[in-house]
Amino acid sequence: MRLLSLLRWAVLCSALHAVPVLAADIYVIAHPSAKLTADAIRDVYIGEKQFAGEVKLVPIDNAMAQNEFLAKVLKLDQARYANLWVKKSFRDALNPPAVRTSDKDIFDFVAKTPGAIAYTANLPPGNVVVIQKF
Amino acid sequence: MILNYPSKIGPVKPAQIGRALLHRSVTVAVFTAGLALPAVALAQKSPNERIDELERKLEHSLKQIEQLSNEVSRLRGAQGQTAAAAPTTPVPTPAHSAQQAAKIEELERQVAQINDANAARGGLKLGGLPLHGFADIGAGRSREANTLRTGAKGFNIANFSLYLTPEFGDRVKSLVELVFEVDRGGDVGADLERLQMGYTFSDAATLWGGRFHTPYGAWNTLYHHGAQIQTSLTRPRFLEFEDRGGILPAHTVGAWLTGTLSGDNLRFNYDLYTGNSPTIQVDATRPAPGGVLNPRAGGMDQYSATMGFRAEVAPRGALDGLKLGVHALRSNVQDVPLVNHTRLTFYGPYLSYSNDQWEVLAELYKFQNRDLSGITGKHNSTAWYAQVGYSLGRTTPYVRAEHTSLDQTDNYFAALISGRSYNTTSL
Repeated sequence: MRLLSLLRWAVLCSALHAVPVLAADIYVIAHPSAKLTADAIRDVYIGEKQFAGEVKLVPIDNAMAQNEFLAKVLKLDQARYANLWVKKSFRDALNPPAVRTSDKDIFDFVAKTPGAIAYTANLPPGNVVVIQKF
Repeated sequence: MILNYPSKIGPVKPAQIGRALLHRSVTVAVFTAGLALPAVALAQKSPNERIDELERKLEHSLKQIEQLSNEVSRLRGAQGQTAAAAPTTPVPTPAHSAQQAAKIEELERQVAQINDANAARGGLKLGGLPLHGFADIGAGRSREANTLRTGAKGFNIANFSLYLTPEFGDRVKSLVELVFEVDRGGDVGADLERLQMGYTFSDAATLWGGRFHTPYGAWNTLYHHGAQIQTSLTRPRFLEFEDRGGILPAHTVGAWLTGTLSGDNLRFNYDLYTGNSPTIQVDATRPAPGGVLNPRAGGMDQYSATMGFRAEVAPRGALDGLKLGVHALRSNVQDVPLVNHTRLTFYGPYLSYSNDQWEVLAELYKFQNRDLSGITGKHNSTAWYAQVGYSLGRTTPYVRAEHTSLDQTDNYFAALISGRSYNTTSL
C-alpha cells in the first residue's frame, strides 16, 4: 500500500516536472533602416553578418530576455554564446553585442540608432520595426 | 432697584402712603424708563442722527470683526506649525505626482547612462577599449629526449597573451595581440604576435594591413595563441608558431583581403593575401640545424613577396557546421647567413566540422619546393593531421594523429630546427 502511494507521488511529480513552462514571447526589433529578414537574425548575433545593405548593424543584447532569446532563436545557452564570442573576438576582431538592462532603454536606443537590432519580451512601441516574434 | 423714600419720618398717613407708592411707582417707572431710555431717546432722534449713530455702530462692529479675523488667522498659523512638527501621512496632489514622475524620469536617465558606461567598459565600440587575455600554466612529464628535442618535465608557465580589439567608427577595426612567452630556459620575451588594422567595406570584403596570422588551412585560422580556445592543449607540431619550431610561416606582415558571400544554402569564405617573405634565421648557438622562420616584421633588405589564398564553402541546413576548403601559398625564402634560396610552395585541402558534440579537423599539406640556388632541384614533401573530439560538457576527449614526411635534401627543411619527419598520436 505504501509502495503504491510512493508510486503515485512519483508519477505526480514526474507529470508536474514534465509540464512545459510557458515561455514569454520574444520580439526581435530593429531600427527602420535595418532591412533584415528573420533568417538573418542568427547570423547577426553570432557575428557572421555585420551589414544590412550599406547599413552597419548594431546588435544589442537584452539582459532581461537573453536566456529566452538564446534558447528560442540561437539554440544556445549562455556559456556557449559567451564562448562563441570569445573565439569570434580573438579570430575576427569583432566585439560582442552590448548588453542593456531595461526595455525602455532598449526601445529608446533602437529607435534612435540606425542599424540597431535588439530583442524584448514586451510589446515594443511603434517607432521600431518588429522583424520577427518568436 | 433704588427706592427713594422721604427723609422725614413721622406717622404715615394713607395719603402719604399713597404718595410714597406713587413716588415709588414713579421711581420704578423712571428706572424702567432709564433702561429704555436709548430706545426712547433714539425714537425721539431725527433720521439723520439715527443713521449717523448706526454708522458709528457698524464701524465699531466692523472693527471688531476685523480684530476677530486677525485673531483666528493667528491661531490657525500656530496650529499649522504644530501640525507640521507632528508626523503625518502626506496627501498626494497633482503637483506632488508630477514631481515624482520627474524624479523617476531622472533616475531612468541615470540608469541609461550607467548602462552606456557599462556597455563601453564591456568592450563595445561605444568608446571603451576592451582588453582580453589568456594565460596558461602547466605541469607535465615527458620521456621524449633526443639531440633535437627534449620533452618538458615539471611545472611551467607557457605564455601570457593580451589582446585588444578597438573599433574606430563603423568600419575601421583593429586587433592587437601582445604575448609574453617563457622559453625552456625561463627567459621571458615579448612579441607583437598580431597587429592589424582593417577596413570593412561590407560582409563580402574587409581589407587588413599589418601583421596577421597567415590564413592557410583550418587550424591557423581557427586558433591563435590562446590555447584555451583549442580543444587540445597543443597545436599539431608542424603547425607550431615559428619561434616554437613551426615549419610554416604562421604570421605574415602585409595585406589581407577577406570576406563572406552568403547564399540561402551555402556560405563562401575567401582570403587573399600578400606580404613579406620570411627568412630562416639560423641560430649558431643551437645544435644544427638551428634555423627558425622570421616573418620580417621590421621589413626586408630586398623585397620578396609571399602570396596565397584560401577558399572555403560552408553549407547551411543539415550540414551546418561543416567547412570544406582549399588553400595555397608561395614564397621565396632565404636562409641567413647560409644564403640558400628556396621557393616554398604548399597547398592542400582541409575539412572542419563542429556541432554540439562533435569536432573534427583534418588537413593535408603538399609541399613542392624548388631550390632557387640551383643545386638540389625540386622536392616533394607531405604533412597531415586529423583530430576528432567529442564533447561531454566541460570536457572534450579527443584523439589526434599527425604525420610528416619531409624531404631532408630540401634546403628549406634541412635548415629548420623542426624540419624532421615524425609520426605522433595524441590523446
